[in-house]
Amino acid sequence: MKMKRALSIALASAFLLPALTALGGCGSADTIVLRVYNWEEYIDEGGKGTFIYDELHELNDEGNPVTDGNGNHVHIQSDIVNDKYKAWYEETMGQALSEEGPAILDDFCLWYEKTYGQPIRVEYSTFGTNEDMYNEIVLGNEYDLLCPSDYMIMKLAAEGRLEKYDDSFFDESIPENYYVRHVSPFIADKFKNNAELAIRKDEAGKEIYWKDYAAGYMWGTTGFVYNPEYVTEEELGRLGWLAFTNKDYEGKITAKDNVRDTYFAALGVTYQEEARNQESSLAGLKARFEADELDAVAYTEALTRIFNATDDETIALVEPYLMDIKQNIYSFETDTGKADMVAGKIWLNYAWSGDAVYALDLAESGQDEDGEASATAYLNYFVPETGTNLWFDGWVMPKGVTERGTKKAAEAFVNFLSMPQNAMRNSYYIGYTSAIAGENREMLAYADYLYGYYPEEEYEEGEEYEAPVDYDLTYFFYGEDYGDVEHILLPAEPEQAASRQLYAQFPPEEVIARCAVMDYYDKEASERINELWSRVKSETLDAWAIIVIVVTVLAIAAFIAYVKFGGKVDFFRAKPKKGYRLVKQEDPNRI
Amino acid sequence: MKLPRFSRKTLCIPYAVFLVFFVIIPMLVIFFYAFTDSNMHISFANFIKFFSDPTKLSTIVYSLVIALITTVVCLVIAYPVAYILARSSMKRKFVILMLFVLPMWINFVLRVNALRELFNLLASLKGLEWIAGSNYFKTVFGMVYDFLPFMILPLYTTMLKIDPSLYEASADLGASGFTTFTRVTIPLSMPGIMSGVTMVFLPSMTNYVVSDMLGNAKVTIIGKFISDYFGNDWHMGSMIALVLLVVVFVSTWLTGGFKSEENVRGANL
Repeated sequence: MKMKRALSIALASAFLLPALTALGGCGSADTIVLRVYNWEEYIDEGGKGTFIYDELHELNDEGNPVTDGNGNHVHIQSDIVNDKYKAWYEETMGQALSEEGPAILDDFCLWYEKTYGQPIRVEYSTFGTNEDMYNEIVLGNEYDLLCPSDYMIMKLAAEGRLEKYDDSFFDESIPENYYVRHVSPFIADKFKNNAELAIRKDEAGKEIYWKDYAAGYMWGTTGFVYNPEYVTEEELGRLGWLAFTNKDYEGKITAKDNVRDTYFAALGVTYQEEARNQESSLAGLKARFEADELDAVAYTEALTRIFNATDDETIALVEPYLMDIKQNIYSFETDTGKADMVAGKIWLNYAWSGDAVYALDLAESGQDEDGEASATAYLNYFVPETGTNLWFDGWVMPKGVTERGTKKAAEAFVNFLSMPQNAMRNSYYIGYTSAIAGENREMLAYADYLYGYYPEEEYEEGEEYEAPVDYDLTYFFYGEDYGDVEHILLPAEPEQAASRQLYAQFPPEEVIARCAVMDYYDKEASERINELWSRVKSETLDAWAIIVIVVTVLAIAAFIAYVKFGGKVDFFRAKPKKGYRLVKQEDPNRI
Repeated sequence: MKLPRFSRKTLCIPYAVFLVFFVIIPMLVIFFYAFTDSNMHISFANFIKFFSDPTKLSTIVYSLVIALITTVVCLVIAYPVAYILARSSMKRKFVILMLFVLPMWINFVLRVNALRELFNLLASLKGLEWIAGSNYFKTVFGMVYDFLPFMILPLYTTMLKIDPSLYEASADLGASGFTTFTRVTIPLSMPGIMSGVTMVFLPSMTNYVVSDMLGNAKVTIIGKFISDYFGNDWHMGSMIALVLLVVVFVSTWLTGGFKSEENVRGANL
C-alpha cells in the first residue's frame, strides 16, 4: 500500500513539473514568443564595445570612455551615428536612441510591435558548434530560427528538417522585406547556385537550393593570421598550405580543434603539390585557371570536389599529412589562438576571417585580452593562394514554425537584422562580414569609414604619406558576373588592402575565385572522418604494447582481489617467527 | 482521496525521483544507444569495433596510465603531509590544512587557466623552453594540482582517528619507528588511502578540461573521446562511456568502495 502511495505522489509531482515550467514561461496571451538559437557572441548585445557606444563616446587607447572633470563621459560627433541616424532610429523603434548602446534584440521587439502592432518576446539561446545545435534539433527542441553554417544548412534541409521561406519574403515591393532589398547580390548568387556544390536532393527527391531555406547572415574565409616579425608574406605565398608542415614553424602554428576545419586544411596540404596527377593538384589547377584553360565555374567546382573528398582513398592519402600537421603544430585550439597570437607565443594561427579581424584589432590596441601590453604591434591575415574555404552562416527556420504561427515573426527577425544600420552594428560587434550590402551601398560607406585611407592633410607631421590603392569590391555589390558596370572602388591604405582587416573582412575577388564551400558528410563519410579524427587526436600504441599493458593491469587487479578476498595472504603482516603460528584474522564485522 | 500519511519514508521520495530521472534512466539510455546502430536496430557492431580498434584501446590505456601516475604522485605528496599534520602537535595545523584545501573553493577551470598562464611564463624563461612542448607533463601536473586536496583530506581524517595509544603500544613492544609506520600507520590508514585513490584515479581518467587546456588538445584522454563522439555518433560515444563505466565499477570494487560504512572510518568524503 505504502509503495502505491509513494508512486502516486511521485507521478503527481512528475505531472506537475511541466505545468509549473509552462506557467513560468508565458507572458500575456497575445505576445508572440520567438525562439532564436544562434552562435555564442554572434549578435550585438548592447553596451560598451558596440558600434553605437563606440561611435558616440570618446575612447582612450584602452577602449574605455574618456571622462570630463565631473566624471561624465565625453560624447563625440559620429559620421555614421549622426543626427540623421538618430532620427531614423527614433522613427523606426519608436523611442530615442540610447547613447549607452541598445541591444539589438530589444530593438527588434520595439520595431516589431511598432510595425505589426503585436507584442513579441525573443527567447534567445546560443550554441558552440554546428553539431551541438544539430543534436538539439534532433532531440526535438523547438526553435523558430537557427543560424547554422553552410554544410549544416544542407544537412538539415536534406533531412527535411527545415521550412522554406515564403514567396512573399522575396517580394521586393514590400517595404518591410529588408533582406531581399539589401542582401549582397554576391551572396544571393551563391545561395541561388549553391556555391557550385553538387545539388543535393531531399527525402522527397526534390532538389535543394539554399535560397529556399536560408537567408545569409555572416560570411567569410579561412586563412592564417601571421606575425610579420617572424613570417613574411612572400614565404607564406611560397608555402601555402604547406606552412602547416613546415619545420621552421614547428611549435609556432596552430590548427583548429574540430575535424571539419582541420581535415580541410589537411586536404590543402595533401593536394598543394603532391596529387595523383599534376593536373588535379591545387597548384596545377591554379596554373590552368591563370592560363585561362579553366573558367571560373570549372575552377570552383574542381576545388569544391577536392576539398570535399571523403572517400577511403583520399582519407588514406590525407592521414599521414594530418599526422605531420599534429607533430608540427603548437596546439589544436578553437579559442586560445587569438590570445596566443597577440602574446607572441605563436607565429601563425589558422583562423576564420572574423576571428582574424579580432586578433588584428587586439594587437593594434596594444593589449592582449587581459589588458596586458601585447607583444606584437601588428598582425596580418593571409589566404592560401591555392584555394581555401568560403563559408556562410544563414538563418533557417526548422519545421513547425507554420504550426506554431511564428513564421512571420521569424521572417521579420531576419528582415530586421538585414537593415543596413543593424547589419553594421552586428558586423562591428562580432567582427565578421555581414551578408548585407545595402540598397544604396551602405556597407561600402561603413567599410570606408572603418578601413578607408586618411587624406594627406590628416597625416601627422613626421608620418610618411602613403598613396591609397583602389580596392575593388564590385563583385560584392553586383554579384560575381557583374559584366560591364562601373567598378566600385574603395580607396584604401596599401596595408589594409594587402593584408589587414579590410582584406580579411572583404576579401578581394581573386580570393573568392579560389574558394570552396564545405558540403556535409553523409552517414558513411561522417563515420570514416570520425575514425580518422580519433586516430589523429590520440596516440595509437602497437598491438603488443596494448596487450602487455592490459595483461599487467589485469594481473595487478587480480592480485589486489586475491589479497582482499583470498583471505590467505595477510599483506602487512610478516611471516610468523619460528615456533609461532599465524592466527587467522577475524572478520571484524562478525564481532 | 485521503491525503497520504507523512512518514519517514516519504522523505525519500524526492531522492528516489531524482535517482530515477537523473541516474537510472540516463544509464538505460546510454545502454540502449551503445547497443543500437543509427537505424535504432540492436547491434553489437560498436562493441566489436571498440575492442578491435587499437586507437580506442590505446586511448583507454593512455588514460589509465595518466590517471595512475597522477594518483601515485598525489599519494606520494599527500601521505607525508597528512601524516605530519595528523601527528604533530602544531597549534596552527588547521591553517596548513586549509592552505591545501582552499584551492578547492575556487572554480577549477579558473585554476587550470591560471596554471596555463604560469606554464607560459615559465616556458618563456631561458632553459625552460621545453615546457611549451611537454604536453603530457603539463597534463599530469595539472591533474595532480587539481586533485591533491581530494587525496589529503581522506588521509588526514583517517590518520586523525588512529588511536595514539596504538603507537605507544607499538613502541612498548619494541618496534622501531619504521616498523610502527609499516605495521600500524599504513594498515590503519588503508581506508583513507583507498578512498583517496578512488577520488583521484577515477576523475583524472575523464577530466579533459585539464588535458585540453594544458596539453594543447594534443593529449587525448577517454573523456575527451566520449565528448568528441557525442558530436556526431552517439552510439559509439555511448559504447565508450559504457566501457568506462565498467572500468570505474571494477576499480571501485577493487578499492573497496562498496564496503559498508563503518569499515571506511568516515574517510569517504
